[in-house]
Amino acid sequence: MTARAVHARTTPVPIRVPAVASLALKHLFSSGDLSASVLGASSHAVWLLAGGDVVVVSTRDATRLPNGVEVAARSEACLFDSIAHGASVVVGSRAIEFDSLVVDLVRWWEPRPALPGASIDDVASAIRGLPHSVSGIDSGPLRSALAAGSRGHLLDASAGLLGRGPGLTPEGDDVLAGALAAIRTLGTTLGSRPALAMLDASETALVDAANNRTTTFSAALIRCAARGEVAAPAGTFLRALAGRGDIGSTHRDLLRVGHTSGPALAAGIVLGAQALIELQTTPNGGVQ
Amino acid sequence: MIARVEVHPGRYHDSVRLMQASKALQNVEGVTDALVAMATELNLSLLADMGFDLDAVADAGPNDLVLALRAENEGTIATAHQVLNDALTHKAAPSGGLDAPDPKTVGSAAAVADANIVLLSVPGEHAFVEAMEALESGRHVMIFSDNVPIEQEIILKTYGADHDLLVMGPDCGTTIVNGIGLGFANAVQPGSVSMVGASGTGIQQMCALLDDAGVGVRHALGTGSRDLSEDVRAASTLQALEALEEDPATDLIVVISKPPADAVAEKVRQAAAACSKPVVITFMGETTLEEGAGEVLAALGKPAAEYGTWPAANDDHRPGFVRGLFSGGTLSSEAQFVAAPVLGEIGSHEGDEGNTFIDYGDDKYTQGRAHPMIDQTVRLERLAAATQDELVGVILMDVVLGYGADADPAAELAPLIEAAVAAGAAVVVSLCGTRGDPQGRDAQAEALNQAGASVFLSNAAAAREAARLATARTSA
Amino acid sequence: MSDLSHLLDGEPIVATAGTDMLAESIEQQGAEVIRSDWRPPEPGTEAALAALAADGRNKEANTTAVERLLAVRPQLVDVRVARDVFRDMTARTFFHAGPPLTWDRASGPMRGAIIGAMIYEGLADGPEDAEAKAARGEIELSPCHHHGAVGPMAGVTSPSMPVAVVADGAGDGVAYSTLNEGLGKVLRYGAFAPEAIDRLHWMDAVLGPVLSAVLESRGPIDLQSLIAQALQMGDDGHNRNRAVTSLFLRELGGALVDGADAPVDQRAEVFRFINGNDHFMLNLVMAAGKLGSDAASGVPASSLVTVMARNGTDFGIRLSGTEDEWFVAPAPPVDGLYLGSFTEEDASPDIGDSTITETVGLGGFAMAAAPAIVGFVGGTAAGAVRRTLAMYEITLAEHPMYQIPMLEFRGTPVGIDAARVVRTGVKPQINTGIAGKAPGTGMVGAGLVEAPMECFAQAVRALAVTLD
Repeated sequence: MTARAVHARTTPVPIRVPAVASLALKHLFSSGDLSASVLGASSHAVWLLAGGDVVVVSTRDATRLPNGVEVAARSEACLFDSIAHGASVVVGSRAIEFDSLVVDLVRWWEPRPALPGASIDDVASAIRGLPHSVSGIDSGPLRSALAAGSRGHLLDASAGLLGRGPGLTPEGDDVLAGALAAIRTLGTTLGSRPALAMLDASETALVDAANNRTTTFSAALIRCAARGEVAAPAGTFLRALAGRGDIGSTHRDLLRVGHTSGPALAAGIVLGAQALIELQTTPNGGVQ
Repeated sequence: MIARVEVHPGRYHDSVRLMQASKALQNVEGVTDALVAMATELNLSLLADMGFDLDAVADAGPNDLVLALRAENEGTIATAHQVLNDALTHKAAPSGGLDAPDPKTVGSAAAVADANIVLLSVPGEHAFVEAMEALESGRHVMIFSDNVPIEQEIILKTYGADHDLLVMGPDCGTTIVNGIGLGFANAVQPGSVSMVGASGTGIQQMCALLDDAGVGVRHALGTGSRDLSEDVRAASTLQALEALEEDPATDLIVVISKPPADAVAEKVRQAAAACSKPVVITFMGETTLEEGAGEVLAALGKPAAEYGTWPAANDDHRPGFVRGLFSGGTLSSEAQFVAAPVLGEIGSHEGDEGNTFIDYGDDKYTQGRAHPMIDQTVRLERLAAATQDELVGVILMDVVLGYGADADPAAELAPLIEAAVAAGAAVVVSLCGTRGDPQGRDAQAEALNQAGASVFLSNAAAAREAARLATARTSA
Repeated sequence: MSDLSHLLDGEPIVATAGTDMLAESIEQQGAEVIRSDWRPPEPGTEAALAALAADGRNKEANTTAVERLLAVRPQLVDVRVARDVFRDMTARTFFHAGPPLTWDRASGPMRGAIIGAMIYEGLADGPEDAEAKAARGEIELSPCHHHGAVGPMAGVTSPSMPVAVVADGAGDGVAYSTLNEGLGKVLRYGAFAPEAIDRLHWMDAVLGPVLSAVLESRGPIDLQSLIAQALQMGDDGHNRNRAVTSLFLRELGGALVDGADAPVDQRAEVFRFINGNDHFMLNLVMAAGKLGSDAASGVPASSLVTVMARNGTDFGIRLSGTEDEWFVAPAPPVDGLYLGSFTEEDASPDIGDSTITETVGLGGFAMAAAPAIVGFVGGTAAGAVRRTLAMYEITLAEHPMYQIPMLEFRGTPVGIDAARVVRTGVKPQINTGIAGKAPGTGMVGAGLVEAPMECFAQAVRALAVTLD
């Protein structure tokens, strides 16, 4: 007989909340149960590492991310309070199960913005006057690389940006992500073959570089950006640049994302758009 | 640089608020100095210290508000006035933290979270007032309610058209926007096919067929059952068509309705022809939703689909007529359209002789009870009655899944289907549902099939089967 | 070209009215939905509401009417004798609070006040004589409201009484009110004892002329500003007027002490009188409200409520779009707390023009600014806030100047829309004093009363007829 008291513990019934997941995460939810662990949690989000991928479970009042699952609740509901770093999580085919919280996947959202057809002139006037850089980050090499359609220079310029600046998503990463997303999405709608070819040729190396040089979370977002998968406010901004939606208010909404992320993403998008214009109008633009 | 001193008599604000307002004004681009305060002696001397001319405030007293500005130009002053107004008036906002009463109207409810759609299911005679309020506050409106006078529908749709607002309804049972279903709607995979439909169940069946063929849906805009009538003249249908033509997320448009009057049908066809995107028009009663879905697949370059089928284990059944027990008019009409060439005339009323397909969603059967998609009681009774009726050889039923519908329709039906089959009747079920539906489409199909029914995801296919079964047995 | 991007480009945020099942389905899909607590409108008003909703003029007219209500700048400019100010007042004409009334239908306090006024005017020897003469119809009775005036409780206004003249600094309108006598045995509660009559004589001989001299000396007093400040000091403008009366006294200030052309002992009496009467400003606040009310009247198709008033028997309202037409129903009983040993048995039905304050965003519509009175009317502070918040549902605007500190300085709900009252079932709520039913009893308590729905139903139906 030990002196330790033995408590009969009743496991409380977990809270269930419906959620909408990014289509970019579909592969994670299609086959059986996957083990995942919690990288970190706040009142607005839980970061998970699931099968090598970073998944962000966030609230309705946080930014909707391309690698994200958004729950139908606001941060004031304190749903994530009991979730601790390192906790183990099961990612099933229709739900993500924490100890005391089950997130039910009821819907999918498309992280690649649907852009209307636009012309180079439309995009050129749309970006007029919008900032294309952030202080402390030298994005000149990136701009020249993109404008020249050069894979080699793009990889060099990216190396100079990845990991630069503090935070979960360093500012340099956000500028690069914005530019890549602009090339992929606006480039597709404009039919910019040299730009898309450059991006296709560079994608694998870029993702490798990101994995080596920056945070796991940020690398995931770079990977998404290269495919045209972006945070929701970035998507609405890109759509406005293509002619659908108000540029001023969508730009302002994007600037409000995160601390430095928003302005850096916005600047990167504008920079990428500028490069598309230059590439289209320069007679010798092409892949090197 | 312009210096401006203004007196606003009789506007009182407490000093803290005024200090915050002064600060806000100082932050306006182009303003170098700003002070807004009550014209007390102290504040007036502050003004003098700031170098402002006190002539304008000679008559001002402590109950008057003074605004003093030094600004670049008139435009800056106009901005400053706006900033001042915003700082001093509190816009209508929920009084956070306090126990506020629930909103009593859709206007105040919509204001809580700046809703963009108002969904009305109040009794029809009250829908108009709420719908007008929704439109006047800049929100689109879906009117699930029926029994709304047609004059009111026209007023609403006229207003909507003038203000770029869509009126979905009255009698609109289904709408999907960006994959989110309003009313009775099935869970759809994301896609780029969008629909405009005057029939909710028609939309549901089309979504189900496309879903089974692996095609996702972006939007399905319900227009209400009377939209394509001669009085309403396709107002919402045409508005929706234009919008979907402009929508970058839509690549193909489907229009679904029962056949409209010729003039209206022509308007719709012309509008469709003017679209740069492919438009598939399905007027049920001229064609089937299955055929329409086939056209969609062809336009998308996809192979023709074989829609899910769960055949009954036993093909043997007693001879007799087909008794159709439907939960809504759309699938009943389509079944009649498909089956009539084979079966001959099909009655629509209880007590009709011979083959009868009855719509239990009709008003006569729903007095004092919920729609059959929610409450199956009447249909279950009729199923039992048909089982006992020796003149009936085949029973045909629709089961509609999705949000809003019963959580487990198969559970209630299974025992009665078993009894029917045991008694010798054949049971055919038209199961309208998608893979993602909360009831679990395949689980429902299997349960119904286990009970002895043959199950079809295509309503047209179910009707064909029912007709085949009835005629095969007769000719045996 | 139709732009439905606002509908199609984002995920819907839905507001619902009707069956909860539809709202639940939306939640199950993880989308955002706000439910309304919808109920059917007052039976018999459906057709009128539909007619108003279909007619674009109603909404615009309401905007115009409430703007006019809020644009007035009430200023106390003078105090004059009633007979010199009211064209239609004869030696035997008395004005009274509320909708039109005849002696035979009048309640105890109203009769008492008429009797008292007759004695004051020398038209009767004593109470029995006055009563007999009044019953014979020797006094003509007319609502204060018909003459640009308002009066609290019985509101009886007779030729010799001093009346405050409140003019619109931003327009041509003028409104009038008698001066407040104080509490206790006073005419407005139906008292006709000698002390009540003597006080009336003092008011016309001293109070009126001194105030007139003060205003002559220091110029007009801006009433709006005083009321706005007082709301942030715990007043509600109807049942609690201590702060606004104090501010008023400060305004009289210098000129009352030295400057007004009146004997010093009279100026001292006036000071002490106002200083001792926490409700002195009520009458002036009411006149300020009347100014806004009259300015807002007469906008065709507007369902804005311009007047709510009680005569001790009936509760009456008027709408801007139907101008001078009264819509009446029996005055409801007050749900209140009683002073001393008084009970509901002793209470007179609701009486007075003071509900003009609720019509302009004060009183029951500003209760959250005056938690102190809540205990007096039998509720809790949280209840007071909830009741004020409920009023936003039936009003057209938030007051630009009357702000409620505890609601983050939100403007008070102002501009009652009769159509919204009938549609939502939310009745305008009123804080009020309760008069004793036996004439001369005085105040027996205070509490909350809701305006009767019947008035608004009649009004909305009548307004709908004018649309044709």
